[in-house]
Amino acid sequence: MEPRAGFIDNIAVQGATSERTSEVDLVRAAQRGDAGAFDELVRAHDHQVLRMAYNLLRSEEDARDVYQEAFLRVYRNLPKFRFDCSFSTWLHRIVANLCLDQLRKRKVRQEEQTSFASESGEIDRLQFIPEERADVDPQRRFQSAEVNSRIQEVLAELTPRERVVFEMRHFQGMRLRAIGQALGVTEEAAKNCLFRATHKMRAALGDFA
Amino acid sequence: MNCQELQSSLSLYLYGELDFAHEEDLENHLAQCAACQLSLAREKQWHTLTNSQVLEPPLDLLAECRQQLRPALASEGVARSANVKSRWLGWWRWGNPFEISTTRWSAQVAAASLLIGIGFISARLLDHGSLQLSNSGVNQMGILGPTNTLIRDIQPGDSGRVRIVVDQESEISGRPEDANIRSLLLSGARQPESGVRFYAMQLLNQQNATVNADDVRQVLLDAVHNDPNPAVRLEALDGLRRFSADPMALESIKFVLEHDDNASVRYQAINILVPPGQSIQLPAAVAQAIQDVLLSAPEDDYIRARCSQALHEAKTPLAY
Repeated sequence: MEPRAGFIDNIAVQGATSERTSEVDLVRAAQRGDAGAFDELVRAHDHQVLRMAYNLLRSEEDARDVYQEAFLRVYRNLPKFRFDCSFSTWLHRIVANLCLDQLRKRKVRQEEQTSFASESGEIDRLQFIPEERADVDPQRRFQSAEVNSRIQEVLAELTPRERVVFEMRHFQGMRLRAIGQALGVTEEAAKNCLFRATHKMRAALGDFA
Repeated sequence: MNCQELQSSLSLYLYGELDFAHEEDLENHLAQCAACQLSLAREKQWHTLTNSQVLEPPLDLLAECRQQLRPALASEGVARSANVKSRWLGWWRWGNPFEISTTRWSAQVAAASLLIGIGFISARLLDHGSLQLSNSGVNQMGILGPTNTLIRDIQPGDSGRVRIVVDQESEISGRPEDANIRSLLLSGARQPESGVRFYAMQLLNQQNATVNADDVRQVLLDAVHNDPNPAVRLEALDGLRRFSADPMALESIKFVLEHDDNASVRYQAINILVPPGQSIQLPAAVAQAIQDVLLSAPEDDYIRARCSQALHEAKTPLAY
């Protein structure tokens, strides 16, 4: 059993290494001005970039802005990229910082209120979010809408940094070490941030669990 | 591991972020504790509930983003080639990286890059203008520093070094007195993030006072007058202590005593002029400043009392 496990591990390591090497090659080619290589880098990562921005900002327009600005920054700064970290970490750093800026602006402007005034009084925006999974049982639908509303509220209450760390760990599945590298903080600082975020989520969702 | 420790580690356990020993402790405790098993089940449940919130961006959004990126990159490529001709000649191809080959596109791209170039040059010229203004006296604080470098974070590193996260892309570390680090710290003192300004100010204040201090003094003066954050003003004021013989610094400390809306900042100012518990002979300029403050009839009782007491102890005759 042991040699087989070692063999499988080796295959995994070789796979990861060759993936890394090919990405390094792509970056180097793009640095030399190879448009095709840059295009390949964009296409290898852009879905993840858009997904992260869209989930964090919950707005197509803002996600589109982050997407464009992120790759423009990559393009402008690629000649200066020195492989101190992986390309992916560097890209995540750019995207995370752009999203952080956006979230901070929103906090200041208090744009993330869940309700808005209308002629017929206060309306909760969340009631317009379609609920697909619980459309059979009215009781379940009500509970599900309530849970969604609570989750959105508590996500909006997290500090921008907690929100980004939680997004990267919980939704994007990134390791804390990579999150720390992406945000330019220690793994311990990222862990503390995640700890605070999960504590708030647990406290807010305890009644539903 | 006890129940409380376990419960604070549950999320990290579910994320697989505990080290091996910690994870083993947790699992051993879990095997024997029904209450903690229930806590784990609850923790899993809120994780699952939250997972339902993941949004997949619409497919047409990705296509749209890719489409919009092309002309933006094309404009960038031409602008870059025009600005840095020789070194990055290879990037010229980015003028048309996605094989958009008609002459109409080339003309549009050239026009766009011309506009970008004009904007870039104007911005640079305006930057220099505001920098000169800022250096000529205590004016509105230019929020970004002389080089317009966006500094994300400043943290102390090992062996007296400092680690600075610059812009989106790179990290620089070195000793605070190194020329490049010092220049970044000066820029850091004018960043939008108050935390960055605070730490930059603190590190500048720790430097040897004899090392080319004029630029530091100017940054501190600007902050004392204009920084919206009282903690940053407090740190800047503390830094001015070493310049208190300087007329402009003295004038700024006086300004704080008369006008700062934060009591802690005002008290720090009076403590710099007249260290508490010490009966000292006040330099003439300081005594004059304190008299001026008293004449301005500050609303703060404590400031009035400290000023009167200082003049009394220094046996300086009051001017009114």
